[in-house]
Amino acid sequence: MRQYDCEPTLNDTEVLEFCKNGFMMFEGVVSEEINRRTNEYLDEHDGMEPTDILDEDWFMDGVIKHPAVAGALRSLLGKDFGLPNLVSNHRIQCPQPAQEWHYDGGDIFGPQLNYIQVFYYPQDCPRELGPTELLPGSHFLYAQRDMTKHLGRIRGSYHAVSPAGSIFLTDYSIWHRRSESWGSGLRNNVKYNYWRTSPPTRDWVIDPGFDPATADYTFHGPTFRKQFQDCYDAAEMYFWLRGEHDKFELIGGQGWPIPGNRNDVPYGVPEGIGG
Amino acid sequence: MRPPKPEVMRGIIGGADFRCKIRNWEMNMGSKTIQDILYLQATTTSPTSEVVGMRIIENGEISDGPHDPDDWPYQTVLEAVRDGWRIIKFPELALMLDDSRTYGLGFEFILEREGRL
Repeated sequence: MRQYDCEPTLNDTEVLEFCKNGFMMFEGVVSEEINRRTNEYLDEHDGMEPTDILDEDWFMDGVIKHPAVAGALRSLLGKDFGLPNLVSNHRIQCPQPAQEWHYDGGDIFGPQLNYIQVFYYPQDCPRELGPTELLPGSHFLYAQRDMTKHLGRIRGSYHAVSPAGSIFLTDYSIWHRRSESWGSGLRNNVKYNYWRTSPPTRDWVIDPGFDPATADYTFHGPTFRKQFQDCYDAAEMYFWLRGEHDKFELIGGQGWPIPGNRNDVPYGVPEGIGG
Repeated sequence: MRPPKPEVMRGIIGGADFRCKIRNWEMNMGSKTIQDILYLQATTTSPTSEVVGMRIIENGEISDGPHDPDDWPYQTVLEAVRDGWRIIKFPELALMLDDSRTYGLGFEFILEREGRL
């Protein structure tokens, strides 16, 4: 297994945002030259799993180890995270109908984050070329995988419309599908996973102004959950990433971590939590 | 082709015989019916709560409906009922008994109405 390490780039607030949304977008970060070489490679290797592209140094350096993305991965997966050893390409000839909603097989729901699924567009992906449609926050929605197939339009879904060279990181459990396309042309969507190899700990960029007692754990959008469950879920995942899941505890009521205009810190903040 | 006798139309002749006669009459008149289905996921068990997901089957064709939720045909389940849809399945409450987990997408109502081919 190949591992990689670099400086983390996300701070507490950004880590918490990933916990809330279940994905993070990096628009147009890969260079035009690398995008061109990737598209050429995928034209020559047009199968479903062009894993051999990982043997190309230009791809490893320009995409897999791209500093902005690798720094985020380092923040979320810890030091010496595992590099991809499998590459898929969701290559389609547009137009196409929408795919069925799903999350990928092998998923284990929960607050843990032991791997991250990544998508890379080596060409522009406007709405008419069927970008991946994600349901923000759905990494906390438990459902048997085949019970999502009859779902259609969902309020609050996010279309990953983005320019060439965009990469987005996702919690493996997030619900997603290829959205319908009505344009014409070929669209590549390269997918691969990174892996945790070290225990979770808060070794990302420490924001001195961040206070877990008063942080905003609210998900801003349809949550599809009972009131405040979004706060509970995000807080639990954030604590897991800090390596302090054993300290995570809820007292309920109007206590931590639900929002409110208080004149003091909320009741029920877990003991022993630093800033 | 004559329509069914008045007693049939008034429901005096009931049950399967009545439905059979009506169906035969409709088919012979070239107006065969088909079941249309509407899936609506709402935020609560109330039919007045906001719809957060939809899919429709009309004339045997599946559609996700308009892209923009504001353009969806119904913003609540009640609006669909007022437009002639009948609820044939209420949200599966057994899925909601475990307070620690959320199962699936919202509270799903399944509705039907009779379409014509």
